[in-house]
Amino acid sequence: MTSFALRRLASTVPTLVGVALAAFLILNLLPSDPLLTWSAEGAAPSAEALERLRHELRSDEGPLARFASWGAALLRGDLGRSLVDGRPVGSVVAEALPWTLLLNLCALLAIYGLAVPFGLVGAASPGSIADRLGGMLLLILYALPSFAAAVLLQEAFAVRLAILPLQGAAGLDSGAGIAARGLDLARHLVLPTACLALSGWSFVARYARSAFRSVLGREFLSVARAKGMSRLRAWRHVLANTAVPFVTLLGGIIPSLVGGSLIVEHAFSWPGLGRLYVASVEGRDYPVVLGLTLLAALLVLAANLLVDLLYLAVDPRIRDTFLGERGDA
Amino acid sequence: MPEARGESPRGRRAAVGLVLALAAVGLLAPVLASERPLLARREGRLLCPALAGLPLLGSLFDGPAVRSVDWEDPGPGTDVLLRAPVPYSYRGVRLDEALRPPGGGHHLGTDALGRDLLARLIHGTRPSLLVGFGATVAALLLGGLLGSSAALRGGMLDLLIVRCADVAACFPPFVLALALTAALGHPGIAPMVAGIGLSRWTSVARYVRGEILRLKGGDLWASARASGASSRRLVLRHLLPLLAPPLAVMGAFGVAQAIIMESGLSFLGLGVAPPTPSWGTLLAEARGTLDAAWWPVVFPSAALLLALGALCLAAELFETPARD
Repeated sequence: MTSFALRRLASTVPTLVGVALAAFLILNLLPSDPLLTWSAEGAAPSAEALERLRHELRSDEGPLARFASWGAALLRGDLGRSLVDGRPVGSVVAEALPWTLLLNLCALLAIYGLAVPFGLVGAASPGSIADRLGGMLLLILYALPSFAAAVLLQEAFAVRLAILPLQGAAGLDSGAGIAARGLDLARHLVLPTACLALSGWSFVARYARSAFRSVLGREFLSVARAKGMSRLRAWRHVLANTAVPFVTLLGGIIPSLVGGSLIVEHAFSWPGLGRLYVASVEGRDYPVVLGLTLLAALLVLAANLLVDLLYLAVDPRIRDTFLGERGDA
Repeated sequence: MPEARGESPRGRRAAVGLVLALAAVGLLAPVLASERPLLARREGRLLCPALAGLPLLGSLFDGPAVRSVDWEDPGPGTDVLLRAPVPYSYRGVRLDEALRPPGGGHHLGTDALGRDLLARLIHGTRPSLLVGFGATVAALLLGGLLGSSAALRGGMLDLLIVRCADVAACFPPFVLALALTAALGHPGIAPMVAGIGLSRWTSVARYVRGEILRLKGGDLWASARASGASSRRLVLRHLLPLLAPPLAVMGAFGVAQAIIMESGLSFLGLGVAPPTPSWGTLLAEARGTLDAAWWPVVFPSAALLLALGALCLAAELFETPARD
């Protein structure tokens, strides 16, 4: 298992280099000079300040030289400094990261926690009214973009019903007790989590339904039940047989969650990476945009890696093919 | 991609009709919603001022006589014979009309600046559909071209293209589209088409490459080759018809995804430039008046829901042929 993981890890290195190069190219070679844009928008900075900025951004050097020095700094873990407040990009990102992780984790839990039972109900009684209504609901949820859902939910729950906070991550000051603050955070999490989970939820529920249906009709189940297997044990077999598609879906959900975070965090003023990204794009804070673009790609790469390793964990057949019978797991 | 089920062929046909109707609304927006009348008489001449806003055909109806009049208030000497179905401009600010509820003169109400919501919704279909279809066509062309040349040429080119697709697929599509749109500069339609198109070509390229490689090993390829078909003929006459239906499905879902991206970018303020409305911009504007009005939130959401739902259902039509 370890050696497979290491080999798989090593195979991502060329992609990693390509990702770094692509991110750098996108934000450096295209015809918009951040310095010129700034000068055009606000008060023109002094020639001295422009010179210093040019030096800092190395826009006076060739692109290749810039990539080399940027790459070398990247290997040392140095992503440069934010153009807005001069802080290191790493610490700006580290400040926002936990909020995004919290939100995405909640969304992931919500997606799987709701979609799997939903799929089970649909698969257990195909064609029933509940199943048909569920299908319609899923289509609607699939076709409702997260930002539309965000504004609709804000209108309904925060403004009309006034039972949940409109935006932000915390409404209490630091003097409140830990329980009260936890409850407050949970209340702030509800709407963003629902929006972020929305598209992934309908996606997984549809797959869950068809996956469960294909397993429920299989002969081995009726044989096992006829031989006296308990209902509970039978369900365990069903779940074990549908685990692989759920793992595959994870590889598609994580990129969409990362993309969805941009919009949902912006809509709810959630102090995470997504809001930071949008604000940095608006403020043309290129070092931060570059660092975050890279981070997003790394997350996707990591998710793909995780999916490959999970395959081994959930499916003994794949384990055997990849690791042989030696049992080096 | 989700598969819809239980929907009848009739439902799917209705979905296709809805998509076509939306395209027509987008195309005819200057006629459907305009402060300019459809037909007016001025100094003894008949004018069709609203038709001047049409794409391509517009110049036929345009002229100094049309442009010299302020159609919001044409004054004496001009008889308005026939007004547009929604007789409001999508950008005419009238603060005294702000946030009127639906009904009365404004069927869907007005926004915080007193602009007619229905007129803005109608004009909002244009960037959404333009970017949706434009970016998808770009992605299909780019992906098809790269995927087929990778599979047909093989060797280093294949390796290079596959590696590029691997790298591109690492960026979440929306992040890539946002970064590209930002890097391409000012907000607008063209950067969005390029950004969204470039972020979505990889799945097409992979699919086309995989299918061609699969077919290359089969009898079809060998017999076509044996009878002297060139590579170009093979691709255009034999592969394209085989790949067209699945690519149509990918395309229909792609349009839906691209519309979500376009309205998302516009929602973030990085899409179309104001005062041009897009469904995403309308929702972003509605956030400012959440406590005062519900209609600026509900109607653009409904429009998005309708368009995207119809596109998803229409995609199913290509997937499985109608059965009746």
